Amino acid sequence: MADKSFNAFEMAQAQFDHVADMLKLDEGTRSLLRFNLREYHMSIPVRMDDGSVKVFRGFRVQHNDARGPAKGGIRFHPAETIDTVRALAMWMTWKTAVVDIPLGGGKGGVVCDPHHLSMREQEQICRGWVRNLARDVGPLRDVPAPDVMTSPQHMLWMLDEFETIRGERLPGFITGKPVGMGGSLGRTEATGYGVVFTIREALKELNIPASDTTMSVQGFGNVSQYAIELYQQVWGKVICVSSWDQADQTSYAFRKKNGVDLQELRSITDRFGGIDKAKAKELGYEVLPGDAWIEQDVDVLMPGALENQITAANVKRISNRVKIIAEGANGPTTPDADKVIKERGIFLIPDFLANAGGVTCSYFEQVQCNMNYFWEKDEVLGKLDTKMTSAFAAVSELAKKRKVYMRDAAYLIAIGRVAQACKERGWA
Amino acid sequence: MRRRQYSPHHGTLSRFDRNARPAAGRFTYIGSGELGGKAHGLARVQGVLDAKLRDAFAPAITVAIPALTVITTDFFDAFMKQNGLKEVAYSESRDDVIAHAFQRASLPVQLVGDLRAIVEKTHLPLAVRSSSLLEDAMFEPFASVYGTKMVPNNQPDADSRFRGLADAIKYVYASTFFRSARNYMKATHHSTMDEKMAVIVQEVVGTRFGDRYYPHISGVLRSYNFYPVSHAQPEEGIVELALGLGRTIVDEGVSWAFSPAYPRIAPPFKSTQAMLKNSQTRFWAVNMGKPPAYDPICETEYMVTADLGDAEFDGALPLIASTYRPENDSVRIGIGEKGPRVIDFGPILKADMLPLTELLLQLKDVCEDMLDTMVEVEFAVRLARDGGAPAEFGFLQVRPMVVSDATVDIDPEELVGDGVLLSAETALGNGVLDDIRDVVYVRPDRFDIMRTSEVPDELERVNAALVEARRPYLLIGFGRWGTTDPLGGIPANFGQISGAKVIVESSLPNLPFVLSQGSHFFHNVTSFRILYFCVRHDEERGIDWPWLERQPVRFAGELVRHVQLSSPLRVKVDGRTGRGVVLHD
Repeated sequence: MADKSFNAFEMAQAQFDHVADMLKLDEGTRSLLRFNLREYHMSIPVRMDDGSVKVFRGFRVQHNDARGPAKGGIRFHPAETIDTVRALAMWMTWKTAVVDIPLGGGKGGVVCDPHHLSMREQEQICRGWVRNLARDVGPLRDVPAPDVMTSPQHMLWMLDEFETIRGERLPGFITGKPVGMGGSLGRTEATGYGVVFTIREALKELNIPASDTTMSVQGFGNVSQYAIELYQQVWGKVICVSSWDQADQTSYAFRKKNGVDLQELRSITDRFGGIDKAKAKELGYEVLPGDAWIEQDVDVLMPGALENQITAANVKRISNRVKIIAEGANGPTTPDADKVIKERGIFLIPDFLANAGGVTCSYFEQVQCNMNYFWEKDEVLGKLDTKMTSAFAAVSELAKKRKVYMRDAAYLIAIGRVAQACKERGWA
Repeated sequence: MRRRQYSPHHGTLSRFDRNARPAAGRFTYIGSGELGGKAHGLARVQGVLDAKLRDAFAPAITVAIPALTVITTDFFDAFMKQNGLKEVAYSESRDDVIAHAFQRASLPVQLVGDLRAIVEKTHLPLAVRSSSLLEDAMFEPFASVYGTKMVPNNQPDADSRFRGLADAIKYVYASTFFRSARNYMKATHHSTMDEKMAVIVQEVVGTRFGDRYYPHISGVLRSYNFYPVSHAQPEEGIVELALGLGRTIVDEGVSWAFSPAYPRIAPPFKSTQAMLKNSQTRFWAVNMGKPPAYDPICETEYMVTADLGDAEFDGALPLIASTYRPENDSVRIGIGEKGPRVIDFGPILKADMLPLTELLLQLKDVCEDMLDTMVEVEFAVRLARDGGAPAEFGFLQVRPMVVSDATVDIDPEELVGDGVLLSAETALGNGVLDDIRDVVYVRPDRFDIMRTSEVPDELERVNAALVEARRPYLLIGFGRWGTTDPLGGIPANFGQISGAKVIVESSLPNLPFVLSQGSHFFHNVTSFRILYFCVRHDEERGIDWPWLERQPVRFAGELVRHVQLSSPLRVKVDGRTGRGVVLHD
């Protein structure tokens, strides 16, 4: 969970400033891109199951849509803050730009804890959120998607409300819908698989034979589970996974040195990715403190859940064996920690490149919805692989050419593309 | 059965690289499983070909394995597992049901990015071929058992090309479980469970002529010739050539056959008229034109047939055809004058306009040395259009050829008399069998040329029962076995008669068929050591039908009968003379 003193938006702005200097961006473009284009705050009253009315705070931030409609997820989290949402919206702009899809960046959220809400109550939040924003979102303006603790079911409720208000079928309004209801095959796997595609390319780049590599993963949600699935199918072992324990309100790391068994772990995991530690012990896992995932003696580290996980406090615990850090989550590394990683020469695949598989597949979903023609799974995942690989290659090539850090190279490409779009539109 | 585990250190293979451009001789693989028999054979031969033959006939001909990528067997395993296909695959479902189930399934995610890269790198047609694990077994070469699909790969949209390739791979995977393959497995006493499929994705050798893409020449070279003509010796081998894709030779049995040592000796036709009548008149090509109706479970979805007029229009005939001259009933080399064309490869074989036979002779030696056995080689040739560039000889496949070396002597007197069920001066194979107690035959009294298509269904049932009971049998029918023309014989596929150890094709007084002499199943016949008889109704010996009619009947269908004998037949074929006889008590 995020540190109280940590401000994700300030971090996002600091990263932007650094690259803006490198790009020698003019003041107008800087001012435009340093902040959001639009920001919506709302109150969502919901009649709870016990008859009382509770008001939930919700947000939608559209950071930039110069390259296409804003795109970004909706998070349900009790500790959600507007600054986190702002940061994530900005990162979405860079993310869609780095994989070169015609979309901008946005993000939304509601301060709530789905663990303590019935499905009916969650549905009311979804519908309330859309009622507030129906005029300002849509397939040609801003396209939401699932994020932390939201699911295809939430997206379908939101779509239903949106279509009811607009009086027409507009499946391209939102992505991450259930397959068969306008969702795309491959969407569930896309983010996790995308991370592994970039790890594969990084291993090639570093000339490391992939077959014997090992990985340690932070988080056991959708991204991590599918990343582990593909990583193990293709190469080697994942020896450690951490997950949040709702009952204890802390996280634990689960280690099995000869490799975790994904199916086994899934069978003892709740719908939010929490692993049952008692059952894990019975199955022979070592149960360690939550941040133990970072100190494992592995080749690849994948922070796959929340922001602010690799910090100045724990970065020194990263093993010398680690060759690659693939940021499956958004903003998992603080700038201080980032400096250390850079100095140590660890190959870093920055978040907005590594985890861009989700938004790329969301874009595919939107394309399929808009033309009402749906592709086979292998076609979707083939395109995803191509997109991710091309994006990685472009970033890596620039990093080598200009002798810059991978994160900087990714930002140079992404910010450069967005800045160019803004200039061409006459915005800056 | 021999199985070879793929080793990355073996041969000159390299891992598929999305950034590398495809080129002839470039042999890559995707995956970490096994290569399968066909690909393994190519991997073995690649280095030797490069060293000894690549430029040996330059500037006239260059020799190379066309650019190919092998998808190793681990993807087949993953595909089956991830899509839960075992249930339908191992059921007794119809081929189309299996094929549809496989089409609905998704290819493994680790593969699809590379497949997109393949179609983005090349716009040439691709052949998607099976390369199964069991194909590596010495005596079971699985010729034509599994599917091969050609995809034009010429749509401007990469998505369409990707779909074509993905569908073709799924089709080849599905063909592992088609009925003919299942029957074949039973006949070879293997379990389908043992089988795994690697897939070869290979650029098709050929030239684009408008909406058609095909090689000028497809061919098969075999080390041993069971039908030597004139003074040619069996060990000097045989070559079969055809215009267009090799399906003409392999599946239809139409070709121009000759000994590479004596390429000027024509096949033994009775007359020029007979040669005209029996030589190739149509050919197969990849359809590069208007896409056909979507039918991913059809092996020939993207293939078309055309006739010789089309090939002449394409300008494909100058080096491969001759012209019939009715005024003196002769054939003149080349197409310099008007008249019916004959695909006899005269300009190359007789006028030496391309050193193809010299190349084939050397190729035979090279491959025999390498595999240390007799071989069968498939190839395709693309001729230069302007005459300036070298022709390209694409080496497509090599596999061991099994030839019995037991000496069998049959005197001419043995061919007639009491105790002879049938005999022939034209028999294929070599050896003696003493364990045949079952005879399955197409009933001469019920035979109707209009109903030949109904025969294979009845045969399939009898065959399945006999294969299950492990009872080899003698099979007798009329006309060409395995023909695609129902008026030319019995259109059975090999899987439907896979348990037969002796196959007889006969003509009838009112239907003087042109017999195939085993060409339709040639490779299976030789590899399974099946003895093959051609019995002409107008010869003295014929078949002793009255004796057969007296034997105990196990099954009497509408068109087929199965009799079971109290004592075994004795079947003898002398491969040196081509003489054969079947004796009963």
